[in-house]
Amino acid sequence: MPQPTHPRSRSLTIVAQDPSVLGADGDVLLSRVDLPGEPLLDGPSGHRVQIVDFDATKALYYPPTKASAEDLYAARAGSELIRERDFHAQNVYAIVMSVVSRFEFALGRRAGWAFPSHQIQAMPHAFADANAFYSRRDHGLFFGYFSSADRKSTVYSCLSHDVIAHETTHALLDGLRPRYTDPSSPDQAAFHEGFSDIVAILSVFSLKDVVRRVLSAKLPAPRGADMVERISKRELTPEKLAALSLLCLAEQMGKEMGIARGGALRASATLAPSKSWLSSREFSQPHRRGEVLVAAVLHAFLLVWRRRIIGLGGSETDSVSLDRVVEEGAAAAARLLSTAIRALDYSPPVDLQFGDFLSAMLTGEGEVLPDDRGFSYRSELLRAFREYGIEPTARGRHALSEGAWSRAPRSLQYAGTHFESLQRDPDEVFRFLWQNRDDLGLEDEAFTKVQSVRPCVRVGEDGFVLRETVAEYVQHLEIRADDLSKFGVRKPAGIGADQQVELFGGGCLIFDEFGRLKYHISKKLLGDRHNARLRYLAESGHFAKGFKPRQGLAPRTFASLHRRRALDLRTQAREAW
Amino acid sequence: MAKKPSPVGLTLFVYQVGFGDCFLLQFQYPAPHPTRHVLVDLGSTASPKNAGEKLLLRVAKDVRARCGGKLDAVVATHRHEDHIGGFATNRTGTAPGDVIASCKPDLVIQPWTEDPAAARDALKPTQTLAAGLAHIAGLRAMQGFASSAVEEARRQTQVGSAVPGRRTFLEDVEFQGLDAIKNESAVKNLARMGRRAGAKAAYVHFGSKSGLEPLLPGVKIQVLGPPTLEQTDIIRRQRERDEAEYWHLQPGGAPAAGSAAELRGPAGRQEIPERHQWIVRQALSVRAETLYQLVRALDNAMNNTSVILLFTVKGRTLLFPGDAQIENWSYALAKPEVRKKLAKVHLYKVGHHGSLNATPKSMWNLFQHRGPKGAARLTSILSTLGDKHGDSLSGTEVPRTTLKKELDAHSELLSTQDMRSKTALVKPIVLDLTAAKWTPESLKIHDAQPLLE
Repeated sequence: MPQPTHPRSRSLTIVAQDPSVLGADGDVLLSRVDLPGEPLLDGPSGHRVQIVDFDATKALYYPPTKASAEDLYAARAGSELIRERDFHAQNVYAIVMSVVSRFEFALGRRAGWAFPSHQIQAMPHAFADANAFYSRRDHGLFFGYFSSADRKSTVYSCLSHDVIAHETTHALLDGLRPRYTDPSSPDQAAFHEGFSDIVAILSVFSLKDVVRRVLSAKLPAPRGADMVERISKRELTPEKLAALSLLCLAEQMGKEMGIARGGALRASATLAPSKSWLSSREFSQPHRRGEVLVAAVLHAFLLVWRRRIIGLGGSETDSVSLDRVVEEGAAAAARLLSTAIRALDYSPPVDLQFGDFLSAMLTGEGEVLPDDRGFSYRSELLRAFREYGIEPTARGRHALSEGAWSRAPRSLQYAGTHFESLQRDPDEVFRFLWQNRDDLGLEDEAFTKVQSVRPCVRVGEDGFVLRETVAEYVQHLEIRADDLSKFGVRKPAGIGADQQVELFGGGCLIFDEFGRLKYHISKKLLGDRHNARLRYLAESGHFAKGFKPRQGLAPRTFASLHRRRALDLRTQAREAW
Repeated sequence: MAKKPSPVGLTLFVYQVGFGDCFLLQFQYPAPHPTRHVLVDLGSTASPKNAGEKLLLRVAKDVRARCGGKLDAVVATHRHEDHIGGFATNRTGTAPGDVIASCKPDLVIQPWTEDPAAARDALKPTQTLAAGLAHIAGLRAMQGFASSAVEEARRQTQVGSAVPGRRTFLEDVEFQGLDAIKNESAVKNLARMGRRAGAKAAYVHFGSKSGLEPLLPGVKIQVLGPPTLEQTDIIRRQRERDEAEYWHLQPGGAPAAGSAAELRGPAGRQEIPERHQWIVRQALSVRAETLYQLVRALDNAMNNTSVILLFTVKGRTLLFPGDAQIENWSYALAKPEVRKKLAKVHLYKVGHHGSLNATPKSMWNLFQHRGPKGAARLTSILSTLGDKHGDSLSGTEVPRTTLKKELDAHSELLSTQDMRSKTALVKPIVLDLTAAKWTPESLKIHDAQPLLE
């Protein structure tokens, strides 16, 4: 039998958080990630990501790192590695791939990009600027470098785990839901940043080395011991867990990259629950609004972590081993991460609201793990989101659990639908839509397109296997502002009668393993929501002339988004001419 | 003690300097009180057609002639070339800035962000300036950033890349970057004039004293901007996060020298293998756009340090906001008592050469004296030159067409763009202050005149 020329899996050294986080030995804390093996070209260049070391500020190209089957840095000290160009390349490759793998695991299929290429390009030293971003137009991830605040050293964003995870998530989310960068509502504008922060912080948290280091540095060691080994359960209330780990980690994440990130994770971690945040003016700006979503997920994480610790048995006053606490934390983070990623499949393809995302998480969780009794992930998610004023959109009676989406109607027509091709053929799915357009509430006047059809195999924590096919379609109508009233939508103040207005609707279809529709999660093309949406767009300057990008090219949304966030710039479109 | 005199007349001289600002205010008092002169800005980044050589020098000489060799005060609204370039001096003492310095102004007004005392001794702030340090450090770093951005833009122009729009971005970076940095000599001269024995330098902020009142009896002057860091909400919140974060630009373009070279590994080179050529081209295009956005942010930040002055004399109200944009304005506009005063403005110097975001709509809508043609109405003065900044395709042209239309429709608009004569480059606006109340007849816009020697 021929042997594969590359290992089945590969374990690579990475910087655990960023170079400011030190291990017990006082050196930069390193960690290792396990990745699926693949043949590599120099770069490293794999089938999903290619590292290209070009510095646009200097206009210099650095030859790619020689590909190696081994982890060349396994036995090296962190303080040395962070000064090696080749290691930077490996660090970016490994972290991008680990995020891609997490997405693929949670989704139960390959996750693609939003641009017409199989490989994303990542530049670890793209330019001298306190910024890092994903750009769909350029098929790339760009990581900048800049002077530290004291100007004595250089900060490399390509060495920051959470920055790499954050940018990779933007790219993956864009691949799954390309319409989420459309101008829509404050929630949708905030979602990309919020979701990327959630993935970033939970993926760092699911590294045991990091959690252990953070916890043991915070806890007072017993006399004579180098390190804490056991910890009293009384120490481990959600509030104390937050103070011991989350805040501390968020603080560290802001330390080096604060200039580029605006301390957002810290702001999320310290945001106390309140139902009034989302209606306040402060959190109406997209880059602040995402912090509320992150805070709700982190709050749920602490509640679940606490449950898992109690679940270890013994009485309330007993102490538990630190290792177990760390393991439970990492496990809770990993599980919530999968839940959050999988929820994208159960989210409407256009006009996302935070409440939709909550319903999607609850539905996805319920599908993979029907029994919530263990650590009550679903009830804790629901509770945490409600404390931040986010109610699930789904209120239907035909749901598996509270807040989850209702099941699709049973009255649908399947005659003439071919199950086999329904799993991969957009035309087959469109035929199904056409046949059931009244039941599914499609708008006859609009242009309808099936965007994707993706079969998946999802595996739950307990080995439960779930086969589903996920398809998305979008409906599109472009009309004159004056004609809005024909469709029951009010024309917002301040836009001209001849202004072309785009209305989007659409849904995602989840078919079960027998080709029956389980869920239809949709936003109808027409409806009241457009009144609020168009008013918001008019106020935020969307219809102003200056909003259109030059030469009709797609805007580089995230480059300026991150700058706006770091500078906390506000939209003042109403004041401009 | 004799009653303080009040002005009986005010003449505002509007200069045609192309893309820039220059205004001379002349307050006439009953004899034997001398006439008083205040110069607001002197700078230009693009001359009007046919204006001839050494325009700023000729303007400076005209100012000297009209004030009889003595200026009472100079206002430099903010540190941009198109506002202060004319204060630059040269070694032979023949530059426009030398002419102005020879008029020995008794007061030099600048925004608080320019206070050299605070900048020199950044670790031990004076009490009033404690809050401003991050900002000042930011301002100085911004100059540094602008020059490295210009340098990089010039270098990048040499690297071939056919991605659409890239060259336009780089040209804009150069134009706007230079506006921020080409004025070292002017900055020094302004500081020097303020240090002259017997003279005063005032570094002002919202609500502070301008120092003009003793020089202009009977005139009330209010400083409406810039706000200090503590005064603005947005900035205060930013400070809670981290002082160094504020300008974002601070470490941007100027990383510690040789920093990326600190990395161990093979040297960089210019040849790029085939498979990476596309992405390298994209990266250069990304960089050009990023530089452009950074320089824009810098330009906005600098405009927002503009001094905003409101003059009230015998019931007439004149507003000079420099290039202040909405972020600077928003602090003043939130105050009901300020809004009340702004409602009465009779003469408005249009902010930032008529750009889209320097005449906040909420302020414009306050002006009571707006009105249709033929009515007694607001006078607005627009000092600008088209086709220099922005483009109409993206709605960023300066002056902004929609704003100009509005100014034209609801105020008596005087635009320097309409002063097309080769020789008549200064237009006097005469306010008769003998009547107790403002009447439409008391303001006259005269024909442009040739510059005096």
